[in-house]
Parts: sequence; structure tokens; C-alpha cells
Amino acid sequence: MGVPAFFRWLSRKYASIVVHCVEEKGKECKGVRIPVDTTKPNPNEVEFDNLYLDMNGIIHPCTHPEDKPAPKNEDEMMVSIFEYIDRLFNIVRPRRVLYMAIDGVAPRAKMNQQRSRRFRASKEGVELVEEKDRIREEILGRGGYLPPDEIKERFDSNCITPGTEFMDNLAQCLRYYVADRLSNDPGWKNVTVFLSDASVPGEGEHKIMDYIRRQRAQPNHDPNTHHCLCGADADLIMLGLATHEPNFTIIREEFKPNKPRPCALCGQMGHEIKDCQGTAREKQGQHDEFADSMPVSEQEFIFIRLCVLREYLARELTMDSLPFPFDFERSIDDWVFMCFFVGNDFLPHLPSLEIREGAIDRLVNIYKDVVHKTGGYLTENGYVNLERVELIMQAVGVAEDNIFKKRKEDDEGFKRRMKEKRKRMKDQRGPAYMTTGQFAPQALGRRGRPEAVENARHQAFDMRMQHNKDAAQSLKASIKNGGNSSAGPSGGADGRGMKRKAEDSDSEPEPEDNVRLWEDGWKQRYFKNKFDVDVSDEDFRKKVVRSYVEGLCWVLRYYYQGCASWKWYFPFHYAPFASDFKDLKGMFTDFEKDTKPFKPLEQLMGVFPAASGNFLPTTWRNLMSSPDSAIIDFYPDDFAIDLNGKKYAWQGVALLPFVDEARLRASLAEVYSDLTPEEVRRNSLGSDMMFLQKSHPLSDFIHELYRTESQEGTEIPAELCHGIQGTLNLDDDPILPDKPVASPIPTLRDITQNHAIGVKFKDPHFASDFVFKAVLLPGAKMPNKVLKPGDWEKGNREPWRPQLGFNQHRQQAHLDQSALSSSRYYHQGNVNN
Amino acid sequence: MANMDVEDFIQQNRALAEQVETFRGYWESEKHWEARREFILRNISDYEDPHLDQLVSLSMVWANNVFLGCRYSSVLLEKVKDMAEGVVVEDAPVFKTRDEIMKKQKVCLSRTHPHTSCVSKSLTRFMFSSLLSVSDGTRCSQMVLPRFLTSKILCKKTCF
Repeated sequence: MGVPAFFRWLSRKYASIVVHCVEEKGKECKGVRIPVDTTKPNPNEVEFDNLYLDMNGIIHPCTHPEDKPAPKNEDEMMVSIFEYIDRLFNIVRPRRVLYMAIDGVAPRAKMNQQRSRRFRASKEGVELVEEKDRIREEILGRGGYLPPDEIKERFDSNCITPGTEFMDNLAQCLRYYVADRLSNDPGWKNVTVFLSDASVPGEGEHKIMDYIRRQRAQPNHDPNTHHCLCGADADLIMLGLATHEPNFTIIREEFKPNKPRPCALCGQMGHEIKDCQGTAREKQGQHDEFADSMPVSEQEFIFIRLCVLREYLARELTMDSLPFPFDFERSIDDWVFMCFFVGNDFLPHLPSLEIREGAIDRLVNIYKDVVHKTGGYLTENGYVNLERVELIMQAVGVAEDNIFKKRKEDDEGFKRRMKEKRKRMKDQRGPAYMTTGQFAPQALGRRGRPEAVENARHQAFDMRMQHNKDAAQSLKASIKNGGNSSAGPSGGADGRGMKRKAEDSDSEPEPEDNVRLWEDGWKQRYFKNKFDVDVSDEDFRKKVVRSYVEGLCWVLRYYYQGCASWKWYFPFHYAPFASDFKDLKGMFTDFEKDTKPFKPLEQLMGVFPAASGNFLPTTWRNLMSSPDSAIIDFYPDDFAIDLNGKKYAWQGVALLPFVDEARLRASLAEVYSDLTPEEVRRNSLGSDMMFLQKSHPLSDFIHELYRTESQEGTEIPAELCHGIQGTLNLDDDPILPDKPVASPIPTLRDITQNHAIGVKFKDPHFASDFVFKAVLLPGAKMPNKVLKPGDWEKGNREPWRPQLGFNQHRQQAHLDQSALSSSRYYHQGNVNN
Repeated sequence: MANMDVEDFIQQNRALAEQVETFRGYWESEKHWEARREFILRNISDYEDPHLDQLVSLSMVWANNVFLGCRYSSVLLEKVKDMAEGVVVEDAPVFKTRDEIMKKQKVCLSRTHPHTSCVSKSLTRFMFSSLLSVSDGTRCSQMVLPRFLTSKILCKKTCF
């Protein structure tokens, strides 16, 4: 979900869903790192079956980290990615499946957001380079020191897009990595590894969902599979709930606010680029041995247990005396649907719904009120009932006016408090009043201090007299100076006689807001300002609402059934109001069928600004900048940002034109023939891959397929791979046992003894109108309840002991026999300390 | 003047007008489409069929500039300005581009950190000639300006 605040809200409201990860660290002996033995039981006291990695959540922090200096070259980035995956493998220890999904070409609905990000990133990159150069000049001019500018080319994070050379290299490196681990790490021996790289269309997390959904729908699936999904997006939580699998856990990095960042220019910590002085780095440790280790804690991970979230939601959503049978699974689906209203990657969120204002709680309350009227659930298996949604929207619409007014009040209150706080911070160096004499504050801990006060009343009298004297003096002085000195005996010591000019300018200028939702007439101003239409233009508003409704249906379908249309997108930059959702019945029927995704290079043309054109073939790049190009309008040099009342450019809405698919294809048709064979390969749609170690039961079967050179797809026999199904096809340049695998990274060795085998894999096929059911599967066993039962107090004397991890009966920390006798030994004074 | 001409043209060139209708974007309101349609019709005689896409593209460059606030190369903008001669847009919206916002934030930042050298303040703040009005010495200008003001396109600031 494009809403970072969502996870914060969720983990505060439902605190028990978070469990800290126990991570066993590798040991070091005489400079040699001993890897962790992942065949041992998981120290988190839980055994996971499947680990799914949303690779883009790993690629970005490894290639352009925020809290460390950036890796020097592509090889270092790859090694960093490998290490990260190793860490995750160590924590989770999947026993059956490791699924690595890299983002492929996304549906059109997502491309608009991607476009906006890349256009912005490109501009930010240019600005950073300019600033670095400028400050570098300054510092060198002053004689300061800076590390030699080895930064060849700034790493353009825009290269992390399907179709670029970088993503191609990454796929190669990951194949090597998988072959290496399968061959050499005993913990990987029985694991089935899937790799879906950037040549397979679909966002990473949705490729994972497709896999799970299709496995669930086939009869051999184990309904009690324990899934673990790695990724930082809040919408993974929605996805996990949507699977209705009873054992689903998410692992993500723990977010630590305000972590220090290294300066972009000299690489040191403690200051930002604008304050960089270019001084030499201080030696860390006697011989600078701590140079590369940051004295900050390493990134920690947390688990998010969805079964506990389900328990919480059960309490919240259970409703009595309904006119229809209550089905908790359907309520969960409705809850997921309502969460989309506060933000998702495909639609701008409604102006009246903000997470931090408790929008979800509001929606849930309305939902429970209204459900008696609606006569049923809002959604079914990912299909939306529009009439019922309209009732919810109308209820929100009624409250809109008040929501905007309250928002303004809260904002004003917040600003006022911040201002007062800043003033307090500025005017004082310490407390307003310090006691003196015997009552003066004393440091604790020294022997005998502080001593008892003698003659307290005398002391108090003295203090009063002194204070009166000081006050009289400063009054005299202020009469002399004309009212410019500050009061109090301790203040004014720094001679701040002059009132500070522009005291208010520490607060940046108020962000301007032409719409002012808290004042009457907000609807007119909103439609005029954002859409440039008159509020009386009902037809236009209906258009926006219809598109939005389509969007809601599309998003829900995307989560529950898969991508309904690769072409659909929301063609406006703003959302309508909740009160505009009228007459929804019949507004939307179905999406265009049999749509196809863009090819990778075509997609690049659709999301890159002209400044990132270097990732494209020359004649294609030309179309982005030549005034004679028939698609030049897609690539503005600069674009408007609508701050929408916010302060900073990155918070605003980027008003970029929408790409016209037909015209894009027509223009590209003329230059398609210019592609080199390499580029043609990068532009084609690829296949998922499956890798196994040669002792895996399925491995011989696959080997046989290669030997017989079978050209048709073969189904996996159900009993050979934990019930996983799918179609296998031979790879063109396969990884085979005893065939050496060359290392694409100079610092890593070739694999001479390869024990891995690779083959193309396709998810089980279902008819295009097949509906995947959002239900619990028969045979699914729910995990033990974790939350304190509501009636605990009535039945039990002892206090409730919350469960801290995965194991209800986990061992408390304790001393064992040897430790107890040792401590007795020391306490009896047998050893001189 | 414009509307009557356009209406006539459409009456007399039914087939062409229908073809042009297909260029309308789903998100375009009446006002935006009418302006862009006029742009296209005024120039359609210069573009033969295989190059019609180019005309559509140029019309989008112009429309994006006027209605969305996008900036393109000066060569391109000059060209579409010429092509748009005679098209009247009343009450065009007003925008701040990203570059403008970033420069303004840099200026404000340097005001609170006077010791940091900063990119030519004077240049950035007076990018738009005499129409810039500075409210007071300590705060950055908050006036939003019409993005361009030419004699050919009438432009009134929105009144809200």
C-alpha cells in the first residue's frame, strides 16, 4: 500500500501481532567466518515451510542504502544482496520452498505511480550531483580534504526497472547464487527454489500471490503450509489476509526512526552534505580498525503474525443478530476492501479518509452500523457489490464536512504547540529557575553527599531576599536600557539585548492551499482547482466516480483473483469526494478481456523520463527528446507539483501526462527493427525457474526430462514435491549437476562441483473465468490463540502471561544448575574480588 | 470568433471531425477538449495522414503546457505557441513546477542559514520579470504567477 503510516497505525492498535526475530549470528574463529548451520531447529521456536522474498524490497536497500555509504560498484551490490538473502534464510529456515520474485512489467495501473517516482528520482539525482559539485568546489577551495571522487557514475536507481541491463545481470547473478547455495549449504538441501526474474511480467508480491492462490486451488495443496513472506510494504499484510491461509507470517525490517545517515560527499556520519567541512575522518580505534563498522546496531527484523491479527479482527468485526449468516472470512475480505480506501498504489485516496485520523475505525463503525441495511457483505471472492458500497460511501459523505473542519483544528493546534515548544527551546538554556545555596542541585553518588540541610528557614529567607534584590536590580537596569533586557537573575547573561529579528522566520512559510477544505464551498474549489471544471458539471464528476469505482473493483480483483486487466488505469490525478458516490449500481460491469502486459523495453519507454534514456536503445531514446517525435509529449522537462497543502515537493502530486498506449506502440513499431539480438532477448517475456539439489526426490524426474529432451510441458507428480503442482519445461541453457557454473562476479569463485538442477516452471493453469475462492480450505487447522481471552479474570486467579513469541510454552530465561552453584560460590566470598 | 469557425469547419468536414473526435482523452473536460480540438483543426491541413500522430503529439504538448503545467524544450514550446495562434483559453489554471518549488525552498533555506552560500538568490526569485511581488522582506514570495503571459493567449488568474 502506498501508505507508510498504515503499518504504524496497525502495529499500535494491534500490538501483539509483532514478534521480534531471534537471529543466530555466525561465529568467527581466527579470522575465518563459520556459517550458521541452518539445518538446526529454528531458534524462533517455529518451523516455516515456505519463504517468499519480494526482491525489490531487498534490491533497493542493497544498491542505494540510506544508512550506510553506497556500494562502490555493481559487484559489491550483488554480494550485498546475497548476504541479505543469507541472513533471511538463516532467520526463517524454510524447509520446503524458497520463492524469489523480482518485479517484472507491472500492470498499467501501477505504471503511472512508477512513472511519477522515476521522473522525480531523476530530478533529485541531478540536484544532488549539482549540490555535491558545488560544495566540493567550496571545500577544496578552502583547503579541506575529501576522498578522491571515485564516484564514477552516480548510481541511477531508475535502473532497477525490468528490461534494463542491470536487471538482466541481476538475474544471472541470482542463478549463480542459487546454484552455489544448493551445492554447498546443507540447509538448502531439501529446499525447492523458485526464481521469477524481471522478465516475467507482474509485480513481485503479486507473482507470489498468484503462486499461492494457484497452489491453494489444486487438490494436493497442504492447507497447513506455514508461509513466511518478506517485504516492507504494508499491503503485504492485506495480501496475506486475502489468502485465507491459517499460517501466514510476514517478516520485515524493524523501522527505527531518525537513523543517522552518512554525508553524501565525504561518507562520514554526523553531518549532512550542506554542513560538510571536508575535514579528515577521525581514527576509530587505535589503528583505525573500527573504521568500517558503524557504531550503530545492525538492522533487526520482526515477524508479523497474521493469525494474531485475525484474532483481533474477530473481536472487532463480529456482529450479532444479522439478517444473514455471519461468516468471519467474508468480514475479513470486507475489512481488506475498506483498507483500500485509505490508500493504495493505484488510486489517489479520498480526501476525507486519512489513516492518522482514524479513517479505518470510522469505516469499520459505519460498516457495522450499515450492515443491517446492506443485507450482506460488501465483497465476495474479490468481486464488489456496488450498491452496498454506496451505502458506506454515503455515510462517510455525510461526515465529510466535519472531518475537514476537525482536521484544520487539529492542524492549527499542532502548529501552535510546535511553535510554543520551539520558543521554549530557544529562549532557555536550562530551567527557568535554579535553586541556590544549600538547596542547589548536587550530583548524586559521591560519598556522603548531599548533606542534610541546616537551618532551612534561614536559608529560604536568604534566597527570597536575594531574589528580591536581583529583581529590583534588573528592573532598574531595564528602565535604563529602555526595556530590552530579559528578566530573571540567570537569564540575559549572553547579552541578548537586541530583539531577534525575523523570529518567526524559523518557521518556513505556510504552505499555500487554494482549496481550503475547511471552509464552505470546498467542493467547488476542489473541482475547479484540481480538475478545472465547474462543480455543476455533473457528467464530468460522474466520469471521475465511475473511473474510481472501476479502480476499486480492479484493485480488489487484483488481490483476490489476479490482474483483471493489464491496460486499465485511473486517468485522473485526484479522487472525488465520498459524497459523490451516487447511483453506483450498474456503473461498472467488467474489464476488457485478454489484455496483455507491455514488453519490458516498451514499459521502459512508458515510465522513464528523457534523462534516463541511456537505458534504452539509441533510436528509442531519440523518441524521448526529438521535437519531431510523435510521442514527445510524454516526456516533459519539468512538470507541475500540486502541493495540496503540504510543504515539500516530494509530498505533492506530480502532474504528469498519461501515456497513450496506442500512440506509443505506433511510434515504436518504426524503430523495433533497430534492436540488437541482446536487446530483443531482454525485451521478451521469460519464465519462472525452479532449482533443486540433486538429492531432492523431484530431481531425478527432471534429469530424466533433460535426457529424453522432452519438448512438451510435463506436470509435476504430486507426491514428489510436498503437493506442489505446476508445469515443467526444459531450459535452453540449463544448470545441470556436474556441469560447472561460471561466476559472473570476479570476487566469487566458479562452481566446479555443481549439484543443482534447473528447469522452467509454470503455475498450474486455470480457465480465464475460474474464480479462486477466498475461503479456509478443508483440513486447515487454526493455530493456537494468543490473545488474552476476554473472560480470563473470571475463571483464573493468576495474572495473564502474554505470549511473547511463537511458542506458548517457551522457556523463560533461567539459570541452570551450574550457574546457580557458581553464583553461590562467589557470594560466599570464596574469591577475592 | 473561434467557436463559430470551428463549428462551421466541423459541419463541412464530417468525416475528418469524427476522426479528430477519436483523439479526445477520457480525462479531458469539455473546456480542455474544445481548446485542443481547435488547435488540431487549425493545423490539420499541414499534416498528412501518416504524420497525424505528430500533430496529436504537438497538441498534447500544448495542452499539457496550458492545462497541466508541463514544461518542454523552448524549441518545442515556441513551435506550439505559433501553432496555437488564434486559440483562446479563458481562465487557464496556474501552476508551480517542481523546479520552481525546489529553488524556492533553497532560497528559504538559505535565509535561515545565512552562512551557507547559495545559488544566485536574485536570479531565481525574479524569474518572472515584473509580475513578481514580494510580500515582505523576511518571508519568501508566495504569489503564484501565471506561467506565461502572451498576447496571443488570454489568461485570467483564477479568483479563488
